[in-house]
Amino acid sequence: MSNNDSYVRQSILRWIVISIFVIIACRTGYLQLIDTQYKRMAANNVLRYEVQYAPRGEVVDRNGEFIVQSKECYDLMVVWRDMDKQGFDTMRLCNVVDISKEKMVRELKNARMTPRAPYLIKNYVSQEAKLRFEEHNYPGFYTIKRTVRQYPRKIGGNLLGSLGEVNDKDIKNGGGEYKMGDYIGRSGLERAYEKYLRGKDGVKILERDAHGAIKASYMDGMYDTLPIPGKRITSTIDVRLQAFAEELMRGKIGAVVAIEPSSGEILVMASSPTFDPDDMVGSDRGNNYMRMLNDVQKPMFNRAVQAKYPPGSTFKLVQGLIGLQEGVLTPAHAYPCHGGYSYGKKKMGCHPHASPLDLRNAVAQSCNAYFCYVFRDIIENRKYKDVKEGLDKWVEYVNSFGYGRKLDSDFLDEQRGYVPDTEFYNRIYRGSWNSYTVLSLSIGQGELGCTPLQMANLAAIVANRGYYYIPHIVKAIEGQDSIDRRFYEKQYSGVDAKYFEPIVEGMWKGANVAGAGTSYRAYLPGWDVCGKTGTAQNPNGRDHSTFLSFAPKDNPKIAISVYVEHGGFGASAALPIASLLEELYLTDTITRPQMVEQVKNLPYYLPRRYQNVTKK
Amino acid sequence: MSRRSNNIPLFEGVDRVAVILYLLLVLSGLTCITSVSFEDATITDFFSFSHFHIKQAAWACVALVGALTILLLDSRYYHMYAYYAYAIGVILIFGTVVLPDSLARPLNGAKAWYTFGSFVIQPVEFTKITVALAVARLMSNYNYSISKLGDMIHVGFIILLPLAIIIMQNDTGSGVVLCSFIIVLYREGLNKWICIPLIMMAVLFIFSFLFTPLFLLMLLVLIFTFCNAMMIGHWREHTIFIAAIAASSFLLYGASALMLEEALSGYTCLVITVIVAIIVAAIYAFRKNISAIFLSAGLFIGSMIIVPTADKIFESVLQPHQKLRILSFLGIMSDPKGADYNVNQAKIAIGSGGLFGKGFMEGTQNKYFVPEKETDFIFCTVGEEWGFVGVAFVLTLLCLLILRLMKMGERQEEPFGRIYSYCVASILLFHVLVNIGMNVGLMPVMGIPLPFLSYGGSSLVAFTILVFIAIRLDASPRNGLMRMG
Repeated sequence: MSNNDSYVRQSILRWIVISIFVIIACRTGYLQLIDTQYKRMAANNVLRYEVQYAPRGEVVDRNGEFIVQSKECYDLMVVWRDMDKQGFDTMRLCNVVDISKEKMVRELKNARMTPRAPYLIKNYVSQEAKLRFEEHNYPGFYTIKRTVRQYPRKIGGNLLGSLGEVNDKDIKNGGGEYKMGDYIGRSGLERAYEKYLRGKDGVKILERDAHGAIKASYMDGMYDTLPIPGKRITSTIDVRLQAFAEELMRGKIGAVVAIEPSSGEILVMASSPTFDPDDMVGSDRGNNYMRMLNDVQKPMFNRAVQAKYPPGSTFKLVQGLIGLQEGVLTPAHAYPCHGGYSYGKKKMGCHPHASPLDLRNAVAQSCNAYFCYVFRDIIENRKYKDVKEGLDKWVEYVNSFGYGRKLDSDFLDEQRGYVPDTEFYNRIYRGSWNSYTVLSLSIGQGELGCTPLQMANLAAIVANRGYYYIPHIVKAIEGQDSIDRRFYEKQYSGVDAKYFEPIVEGMWKGANVAGAGTSYRAYLPGWDVCGKTGTAQNPNGRDHSTFLSFAPKDNPKIAISVYVEHGGFGASAALPIASLLEELYLTDTITRPQMVEQVKNLPYYLPRRYQNVTKK
Repeated sequence: MSRRSNNIPLFEGVDRVAVILYLLLVLSGLTCITSVSFEDATITDFFSFSHFHIKQAAWACVALVGALTILLLDSRYYHMYAYYAYAIGVILIFGTVVLPDSLARPLNGAKAWYTFGSFVIQPVEFTKITVALAVARLMSNYNYSISKLGDMIHVGFIILLPLAIIIMQNDTGSGVVLCSFIIVLYREGLNKWICIPLIMMAVLFIFSFLFTPLFLLMLLVLIFTFCNAMMIGHWREHTIFIAAIAASSFLLYGASALMLEEALSGYTCLVITVIVAIIVAAIYAFRKNISAIFLSAGLFIGSMIIVPTADKIFESVLQPHQKLRILSFLGIMSDPKGADYNVNQAKIAIGSGGLFGKGFMEGTQNKYFVPEKETDFIFCTVGEEWGFVGVAFVLTLLCLLILRLMKMGERQEEPFGRIYSYCVASILLFHVLVNIGMNVGLMPVMGIPLPFLSYGGSSLVAFTILVFIAIRLDASPRNGLMRMG
């Protein structure tokens, strides 16, 4: 290598070194002197955002009594870095805040992973524990005030619903409303009115100095926000009635729904078995939740709006109404019944009663044969091309009564039930079927499925003679003049008001004239109770017992539907429950304590699928 | 006997500038480490041995003792024992691979440390010194010539053997440092046509992830034509050449769209045109006897082959976290809490420093958000607390030290000293480039320390020894004959 070449290489290398340093210096200079985004991001890094949780809105019943209250509780937090590691007495802190030593050690170990970030040690620390905690000095530990739900009457588990911590999906869908550790309504009223109950969390921005210590409020609190508490909600529920309904339903499976016909307000909605809403709050929530999830009786299943029950004889009301509207039936028309309705070699059985009966008496006596005639006349009407078109027309009417579709109530988890249509029968019978094939629809059996809410709504429609208001659970929201406008609009069924009278009279007769019908036990002197029993056969065990009623006959104040799974005859289980609730609501007293006793001690046998509840 | 034993003062001939630069760098490092040790406002015991800065100060003392020892030793020993040292160095790093985990505990996925209780040593830091010595010894042989293939393979083997072992340790970052020896080889006369492709390969490897193949190919065509024009002139012909390639690519694309069912992709069209163009250019060069065109064409074809191969290597050879880091560097994956997090926080810390910085111990970003703040990301503290002024100061010190080492090498008559000085300079340059480069987002994140500033006993002591051997060699009598005698 020549000297000249060597010199060239030396100087090339020297320039390479210098240019590398110049490039690095330029880049650093760009970051430090020209680009401002890093200074802005640095400011965000140094600020600590402390959440001021908003208390969740409370819920009161229609008379102003608290159903859901918010109770103060605290989250115990730690910042690992600020902890006094030497003088720290784990045991003492454990005793102060009621926490097991293992959990504390485990949580502290986790906290160590993120030494500078606040770490949640324990939530649901009670106020007493928090006061004890304040008496001691634990550097690095602090509490954040939150609120939890508290239920003074311990009723309406499914109705009120429960809260859960938000998951990733909620945060994503919440549009920035939610952050980790927030609670969100998971079911029932909590979920439906989340928007109002939630309130808005405030934030306090703190600035830390170079030593990591909190220096002061950032910009003297200029950007801090105060928490806005959630709105108080006035529910349509009558707690006294609700508690009584739950008491009567205890031990049975089924649902009670009562509606004020003149407004669509839900007075009672009891799904049984139910659960103590307090179980869904606090540190035992997970365990209780799992226990209920594994319970074969499914206490978290809100039967009142989600179950699909065959309506049984209560459906005869709809049948009669459609017949009248379609002109295939007149109230005076009588059909014979000789222990049932025979067709071909088969027979639809009926209980013994006088024969023939006109419409009023057929309703009162709940005659099966009568409504088989009516149903066949409806769907075989000459007006229509064939039975299939007739059935479609029938389905249209049934839908207008709220069956087979969502009522659009404020229960987000409301189910639609099921009304079979032509398409359905064409599918399962490959197109070859006739009115006999679907005859069981005439008495509310077969493929029909409806929710107790839909049944109560039917009671309201009949009580109103043809229309209803969408059932709803909320009467008023704090700070708002009205609730959603859909709850103020009359919804008409497909049957004119004039056709309701004979049906109502039949219902009245059944409950008020001894021996004239199946509902006489529901008689309340002076209150003109109207009622219709139902006994629904089912493949699982004993018949379901159901009762549909409203009172008084004119200007009805309450419409109610009771459904007791495997309760036997409509008159034996469902009727007394409905009757007692009506009595309590209308007269504020219970004059038939023996009936209460009888309901509570009702012989009740559950099929196998509902047993082994206590299996651990 | 050497002059050392003849009552010659200890510091005779020692390059004071280099020593002062070294001391200033170590002091800057200590300052920054002190600052980051005090993230906790509650800590009052400044001199507790549990703090980084006290440990580092202790290590600095060890390093100074080491430096003095080196100055005391006769410079001939380094030449004499270079190969033995090399063997020991290789065995040391190989040991971490084969020893059980109790003696060589894996840290951060790399099995590159010896553990004696709480005491941890990273042998690769010392292996760098021994490799530098061995390279210097080999290349300073009287009849050694880098242009001979055998000799080239020989030196290549010396460098690549430890590199292979370090990659086995899963510590690629430290291993890649040895690649910086290409600078030494270049200085000693390695053909530039070997250096240029090697460097180009590295650059292309990084760029192949940054751009689409079509864009990269267009870029390559432009660069090579431009370089070719620089070498041989004829600017007008080159412009026509580029225009012809562009026009025929478009024509080919249009024709394929009309005649074939599915049009050829833009990339395919360009590749076909370029291949034809190269053949035409080759014939032209052969006729006119212009050899430079062959060189450019060869390099160009090489680059075209590398780009797709880079993908393959990337997929099969690199570890997932290495892939992530490289991709993050190239901005392909931007995940603020993932691989990008470190770099982003580092940039925020440096960027928030401004011109004069926040002042000693006043930084907040470096303490709370930058991970590895006392080791790989110590430069953040310089940037945040001392601002651009501090950065310029540290960069100047490092730059001057590297240039000084090169100068010290050049002024020696013994090739051994010169080659060794260049080795030291290139190792330092590589460390600075990669470490600061990753701090400011110019380089992928590789876990290698910033010389003299990063916390870590092994690295401080090793760099001290590295530099002081060069100073010692430089301090030997300038007259080579005397040393031989």
